[in-house]
Amino acid sequence: MEITLTHYLVLAMVVFLTGMVGFIIRRNAIVMLMCVELMLSSVNIVFAAFSRFHLNADGHVFVLMNFAVAAAEAAIGLAILVEIFRRRRTVNVDDLKALME
Amino acid sequence: MEGILFWVCGLMMVFGGLMMVIQRSAVVSAVWLIFAFVCAAGIFALLSAPFLAVMQILVYAGAIMVLFLFVIMMLQGPVLEGERKWLSLPLWPAVAIPPMAVVVMVAGYLRKDGTTPLGGPVPEGFGSPHHVAELLLGKYLLAFELISIVLLVAIIGALAVGKDERKLPWK
Repeated sequence: MEITLTHYLVLAMVVFLTGMVGFIIRRNAIVMLMCVELMLSSVNIVFAAFSRFHLNADGHVFVLMNFAVAAAEAAIGLAILVEIFRRRRTVNVDDLKALME
Repeated sequence: MEGILFWVCGLMMVFGGLMMVIQRSAVVSAVWLIFAFVCAAGIFALLSAPFLAVMQILVYAGAIMVLFLFVIMMLQGPVLEGERKWLSLPLWPAVAIPPMAVVVMVAGYLRKDGTTPLGGPVPEGFGSPHHVAELLLGKYLLAFELISIVLLVAIIGALAVGKDERKLPWK
């Protein structure tokens, strides 16, 4: 069977949904950040697939931008988590509800 | 051949993502995520984007995941107290229904319109470092420079958040 654009898009969708479900069910803030990284990665696959579809490498440039954004997001998110852990001694999001109450 | 590689890389990537979600230990989750990212690099290679495949392994599986593992090492033991043992009942619909809705939507679309083939044959050098660099330093030069500011802001932000507040220069 020939591999089509749709195959890549469905793969990206499944990976994105995996990350989304993980983000909802996990309680560890670090693992939730990792789920966000997985979702970003699935978006990169869509960029690359459409680049290949249109035979236009502009999408590759945006994937590289996405790498930089993901790195920045990971750096800031983890810095915030380290700070939260320093004050509260936990990264369990069920215990971090000061903004919710 | 391309078909076999797609199914191998794709299924292994989904499997890696699922294992990341269901493993209770954060370290094991991180290692499975690295596995998934390496499989994503394989997908990039299949999409004739060799430069992206290399960058995926260098930046994602290398730099970013090492940062994650480092923070996990600093913060806590392998398993978080209070992590859900298994999905509790009231959570099931909220977790399961949105993905199922998307899957049904896509399945309906595929039944109606079928699949879209990929574009024609790939030109020589498509997605090579040379090709991507020409775009990155030509057409998208401004975006390329701006993304460096994003990274600079992230560095300053991480420093400001991580540093002891009393020692900040503007205090």
